[in-house]
Amino acid sequence: MIYSYIRPRKKSAVTPEVKLLFTFFGITLLMLFITYAFLLYKDYNFVNDLNLIAQKNAVVNQNLSEMKSQIEFIEKENVLAQKIQTKNSVLKDSITNLFDLVPQSITLSQAQLQQNALILHGLTPNKDVYSFMLQAPLRSIFHKTYSSFYPAGDGWLRFVSTNYTDEEATIKEEVIENEN
Amino acid sequence: MKINISRQYIYLMGVSILLFVFVLLFSFLVLIPEGKEYRENRGELKLKSNDLRKYQNLSDETEAKLKELQKKHRHVIVAFDTQFTPSRFKEQHKNNFSSLDISKAEIIEDTEGFVTYEVNTTSKISSPKSFYDFLDAINKSDWIIGVNFPIDFKRDGELINSSFTMKVYCNAKDKNATKKEEK
Repeated sequence: MIYSYIRPRKKSAVTPEVKLLFTFFGITLLMLFITYAFLLYKDYNFVNDLNLIAQKNAVVNQNLSEMKSQIEFIEKENVLAQKIQTKNSVLKDSITNLFDLVPQSITLSQAQLQQNALILHGLTPNKDVYSFMLQAPLRSIFHKTYSSFYPAGDGWLRFVSTNYTDEEATIKEEVIENEN
Repeated sequence: MKINISRQYIYLMGVSILLFVFVLLFSFLVLIPEGKEYRENRGELKLKSNDLRKYQNLSDETEAKLKELQKKHRHVIVAFDTQFTPSRFKEQHKNNFSSLDISKAEIIEDTEGFVTYEVNTTSKISSPKSFYDFLDAINKSDWIIGVNFPIDFKRDGELINSSFTMKVYCNAKDKNATKKEEK
């Protein structure tokens, strides 16, 4: 016996409402998980990048300190070289000035240059020539000057002139010059 | 008034509420803290990257300065690195002397990265000018050499016997090399 004129519809568990609900939540959850995965991946990358930067930093720091010490050493070398070259030039000037002091009439046989002393051996025609032409300029340079003479045999005199500078007096003179 | 809600809708509402609660909990308990951490890490990375860039710039500048110094003071650097060899010294300066004898180099000082050798020299020169030329030439030689007191000039016929000490300055790393050379 038929109670209805229409045929019964097939009933399913997945109704359009259920489909809509699962689609909505499916998309929402998918977006959430994708975002979470993205954040996890980025965090992992950040940690790697930070490690890499720390390593690079260490290398750059080491190179930098090595280069700085090299620069310091080169500057030290240069200062020392300049000091030595200046000392050589001053020495050359000192020796030139010393030999320029000796007049034509006096002949030197030996000259000993020490840190604070100058010892000259030579021949002079007489004491006056020595005193006026050599001893006087030497006295103006050195603080103490001693001379001794003995006959050379041909009327000339052999002399030994020993001259000293007082280091303390030299320093005082330099200080006064600098103050002026 | 009676509201007629089918059982199916009640189930659907239950599932919806459960999923909504899950989404909320996941968002607030997991996603937002993770997002904060991401933001902090990004800031830290940016900061560290900037620091690294600054260090690299400083390193580049320092390298340029070092290269410039090396180029400018090449002679001094090479001179300090060169081992002192008496034979080569004689060869270089024989023009200034009629004869030249050099004693064995002895270490007299070893401080602050430099080694100082002392060399006693006896020579014959034709005039003081030869000695002046030698003092000029020594400043351009292959080594860093300082002529020191005492300096002695003694007349010997037409020539002048001269004796003086020289200090040769080397880098400390060449100390062993110079010793080997002397042997």
